Amino acid sequence: MITKIVSKNFDIKDSFKIDVALKNGAYSSLDTLFSKKPQELIDTITQSGLRGKGGGGALAGGKWQLASDHKGIKYLVVNADESEPGTFKDRRILSLDPHLLIEGIIATCYAIASHSSYIYVRGEYEEFSDVLQFAIDEAYDRKYLGVDARYRVDIVVHRGAGAYICGEKSALLESLEGNRGHPRLKPHTPSPEFYFSEPTLVNNVETIASVPFIVKNGAESYREYGTEKSPGTLLFAVSGNVNSPGVYEVPFGTGMLEYIEKLGGGVKNGKKLKAVIPGGASTPILPANLIKDVKLDYENLRDIGSALGTGGMIVLDEDASIVKALKNLLRFYHHESCGQCTPCREGTAWSDKILDKFIAKDASRQDLEVLRSVSNSMNGKTICVFAPAASGVIDGFLKHFESEFLECIK
Amino acid sequence: MSFSFNEENTLKIKTLIQSYPQKRSLILPLLWLAQKQDSYICDDAMQKISEIVEIPYMHIYSVVTFYTMFRLKRPQKRIIEVCRTLSCELNGSEEIKTYLDSNHSDEYEIIEVECMGACSGAPMCTLDGKYMENITKEELAKVLK
Repeated sequence: MITKIVSKNFDIKDSFKIDVALKNGAYSSLDTLFSKKPQELIDTITQSGLRGKGGGGALAGGKWQLASDHKGIKYLVVNADESEPGTFKDRRILSLDPHLLIEGIIATCYAIASHSSYIYVRGEYEEFSDVLQFAIDEAYDRKYLGVDARYRVDIVVHRGAGAYICGEKSALLESLEGNRGHPRLKPHTPSPEFYFSEPTLVNNVETIASVPFIVKNGAESYREYGTEKSPGTLLFAVSGNVNSPGVYEVPFGTGMLEYIEKLGGGVKNGKKLKAVIPGGASTPILPANLIKDVKLDYENLRDIGSALGTGGMIVLDEDASIVKALKNLLRFYHHESCGQCTPCREGTAWSDKILDKFIAKDASRQDLEVLRSVSNSMNGKTICVFAPAASGVIDGFLKHFESEFLECIK
Repeated sequence: MSFSFNEENTLKIKTLIQSYPQKRSLILPLLWLAQKQDSYICDDAMQKISEIVEIPYMHIYSVVTFYTMFRLKRPQKRIIEVCRTLSCELNGSEEIKTYLDSNHSDEYEIIEVECMGACSGAPMCTLDGKYMENITKEELAKVLK
C-alpha cells in the first residue's frame, strides 16, 4: 500500500545532510537531466501527467510550458506556505529530505530556463526552514548550486510571516514582492504568474520533489502508479480522531477507508466513523456512509461533491460535534480572510458569528436561512477561491448534517 | 534615530540585496531581522527599513499589520502559542488552553493560533517559536515549572 517515491528517504537518519543524502541517491537524476534538452523535459513532465500537489491538481507540464514559452527572465517560486488545516506533508520534505527538493528545483529551472528560485516557507516553519537552509548551503559547497554548478541555479529561502492566504500563488508573489498578501485578479487566458513582471512558475514543494523520479525513470514509470487521470502518488495524511495520525505516501486511487483503517490505525478508542474532511479544511465534509467505496483521486472525490485538495484527511468520530467543527473552521476563515473583497471579509465574519448562536443552542430558523444566504453571497463573487471554499464548507456541512443544526434551534 | 541594525545584520542585508531583483522584496526579510534583533518591530525600525528599500514608511507599516507573526509591541513574557484548529481541537486543545491560562499565564503570554501544520502531533503548541507536539498537561507542567 505505502509506495515511497517522494518519501523514500524520510526514515533515514540525517538524510538532510548531503553526504547521507548522496549515499541514498540524491542528485542521481542530474546526468539524465543534462543529457536532455529543456523541451524534452517539459514533454516528459507533460506525458507523466504529474499534477500540482498543493491542492489544485493542475497539470504541471502545462504550467511549465507557459513559463517556458514566455519571454523574459524566468523565476521558479516553490510554494512551501503549507497552511491548509489538516496538511503537514511539505514540512516532511523540507526537514527530512531537502536535497530531493533542491534536486527537483535544479531540474525544473533547467527545463524552463530559469537561474533563480525562491522557496516561500511559512513563517511558523522556522525550524524546518533552518534545516532547508543548511541543506542549501551544503549544496552550494558541493557545487550543485551557484555559479560553479553544471547549470547555474540560485535558491533563496524567503520566510512568510503568518498569513494563510499567502499559500494562494498570486498572494504569495505579492508577499514576495514586499506587499500585503492580497491575491491578484486572474487573466482569462492561460498565463504564467509574474514576479516583478517577469514570467514565473509557482509549484508546490511536493510537486517539485516528484520531478527527480520522473527525470530519472521516465514518464511511463510514474504512470505505473495511480490512475489514468491522477497518475503517481501523493503524500496523503490523516489526523483528527485516529490512532496513528501521520503522513503516508500511497498511489492515487487507494481506497479512503482502507487508508484510514490500515495506515491511520482506524478511529480512536474503538469509536465509529462519523465523517471525513477529505483534503484539508477547504474541501467539503463527507459523512461515513458516502465514503465506503471512495478512492483517493481527483475525479472520485469531485464526483461525490467534494475535492481531493491537499490529501490531508481530518477524521471525525461518532461523538464529534458537527456544529462545533463548522464553528472551528469558520473561525479559521474569519481569521484568515485577507480582507480585500467585501463578500469574503464580511461573509466569513458574519457566518462565524451566526455559528455562535448554534453553539449556544439559541439559533432561530432564520439564522439557518441567513447562514445559507451568506454562503451563497461568498460563492463566485471574489478575486480568489478563499470565499468560495468557505462557502463550499458551509454548504457541505448543511447538506449532510442539517439535522444537527436543526437541533440547535430553540 | 534610535534603531539601527547591528553589525551582523548589516552584513546579512548586504547579501540579501544581491538575492532579489528589486529591493522591495527585502521588506519581509528585513522585518524579520529587526524583530529578531529587538524582539519586536519599533517605529524607528520601520523608518530604517523604509530608507533601505526606498519605499514610504506607510507601506512598511501596512505590511507589518497584515502578518500575524510581526509584533508592534515588546513582549513582556515568553510566548506560548496554542493551535486551536480542527485536528487539535478534536484532540483536546481547549483543555490545554484552559490549563495554561489558569496555571502559567503569570510567566507566559498564552496565545491561540490557527493551524500550524502539526496535525499529526495534535494537540500542539509552540514555546518561543519551537514546536511541541502531542502535548499533555503533565508534560507542560514539567517543562514550564
